[in-house]
Amino acid sequence: MSSTSETNTKSQNNENLLIDIGSTYFKVSTPDSIEQHFRDFNKLILDDLMHKCGNTIERFDAKDIRICSSANGGLSALIIGLTQSYSLKYATNIAYNSGINIIDSIVFQNIEDYSIPSDLIDVVIVVGAIDSHGNVFDNRLSDYIAKLNYSNVVYVGNAKDASILESSVNRLVVLPNIIDNRLHIVEAPLKEYLTNLYQQDIEGKEDIKHLYDITGNQIFSTPFVVNKALPLLQTSFSITDPFILLDIGGATTDVHYSKDLVTDNIVTEHGHDRIVFKKLGVFKSRQSLIFTAEKNEYAYELLMHLKVTEKIYEEQSERATKILMQLAIFLVLCEMSHYRNSNVTLKLLSMNSIVFTGGITKVLKKEDIQTVVTFFYRKLLNSDHKPATVIDINYDIWTLGARQHATCQ
Amino acid sequence: MKVVTGVIGNDIHVVANRLMDLSLNARGYEVFNLGVNTYLEEFFDAAVETGAEILLISSLNGEAEGWGREVKLLKAKYKSLDNLTMMIGGNLTVGSGNAEDIVPRFKNYGFDLVCHQVDLNTGLDMLEEYMRENKHS
Repeated sequence: MSSTSETNTKSQNNENLLIDIGSTYFKVSTPDSIEQHFRDFNKLILDDLMHKCGNTIERFDAKDIRICSSANGGLSALIIGLTQSYSLKYATNIAYNSGINIIDSIVFQNIEDYSIPSDLIDVVIVVGAIDSHGNVFDNRLSDYIAKLNYSNVVYVGNAKDASILESSVNRLVVLPNIIDNRLHIVEAPLKEYLTNLYQQDIEGKEDIKHLYDITGNQIFSTPFVVNKALPLLQTSFSITDPFILLDIGGATTDVHYSKDLVTDNIVTEHGHDRIVFKKLGVFKSRQSLIFTAEKNEYAYELLMHLKVTEKIYEEQSERATKILMQLAIFLVLCEMSHYRNSNVTLKLLSMNSIVFTGGITKVLKKEDIQTVVTFFYRKLLNSDHKPATVIDINYDIWTLGARQHATCQ
Repeated sequence: MKVVTGVIGNDIHVVANRLMDLSLNARGYEVFNLGVNTYLEEFFDAAVETGAEILLISSLNGEAEGWGREVKLLKAKYKSLDNLTMMIGGNLTVGSGNAEDIVPRFKNYGFDLVCHQVDLNTGLDMLEEYMRENKHS
């Protein structure tokens, strides 16, 4: 009786159950509610999930359960291209928007000046030149790649060099060029390849692959899913374009931004891009966050403004976590301003809204955030500009993205 | 023959840029038009990615003066652009200016061909003649 009733409930209720597994917590969203739990690192993820949310999960068919995760730490990519303005920029853009983290990018003509990364690289991406141009790569490329410790290598450059590279680079996967013959970006093939790599990585991770016991769908990276929500944000929030969305997590910080905030030569279908700051987080990356803060000449003033001293770095308290989150906001804004020479410099004086999501929204109040944003604009940009602060307190953005993604599949 | 073209710096003279694109296409060039508001580095990078033989920069509000000074320094950083023909045209100074002063100055900046206030077709004739004499001899 109970089994029949359960089956009926599942089949009638054709809604999706959405699950996000982060590095420090997970959240589960039904059509009616959302719950969040800190992970118990003494348990397998699936066991922890079933222990805390088993009743909810059992109400849904495997085909209706959609999972995304950033718990595998994301894939790392090294990009080798011809120029900063085209091949490297295009590949970087596609990689970030596919949820991949980039450890370095190399301009091929100076390849011998770059050191060899010691860490295992999940994927090396090689790109350069339009199809009607060729002979741009030589054996310096294969020599360099041979010294790398990598799992995958993909070539998305000009067609003329493909066959030579195929014979000289071990396990090279060749895909269509991401630069078309008008110098425009072609995203789809590389994006699909990287998304599938992410899937394979999850399947290979002992802890995460068990999640396939409860879902019949592909597990995607969390930033890839959040990216799906961006065009829809203005339907659910009072957000004025252009905006940035900050997701300050335990290990990394993701920034999604309107393309109106950059002077760019990339023409793509979507209006938002993503960048990742790998070592800016308040739990797993706490030490590197503090290290970055100590190097920032304004951080000390910010601490004074927040009425604390550098001793706060040594504290393990709720107050310390709160201050670190405020510091993270400030450091991310610095990274994206002219103050730092990072990959992306945003026109922050044109920004109308700044949206916060992730664990930070459970700790910081609106005024905690606004005081940091105001300090940043006054100190670094010498301006009283005040973008509207929007806090996604109930993970609505992730839910929106996950539902949109589920609908599209 | 491949040509990279566009308007340099903070300059939005798109009509001239479009005319340049049409004229180059009509003369049989393969044109990579980077449009207005293009930085010098993007011009060089486009030449690398396309294998262009010619870089044709246009400027109408004197922006070229500031950017021109950077040409030699920046181009020297590229290892594959030694044979790139560099041309600039338009109104290369603020106000009217004097071609006798401006042309040598821009040649000194590293341009092979300089057309200050020269009619578009005349300028492109000069380019064809230059390419005939210098690149196919």
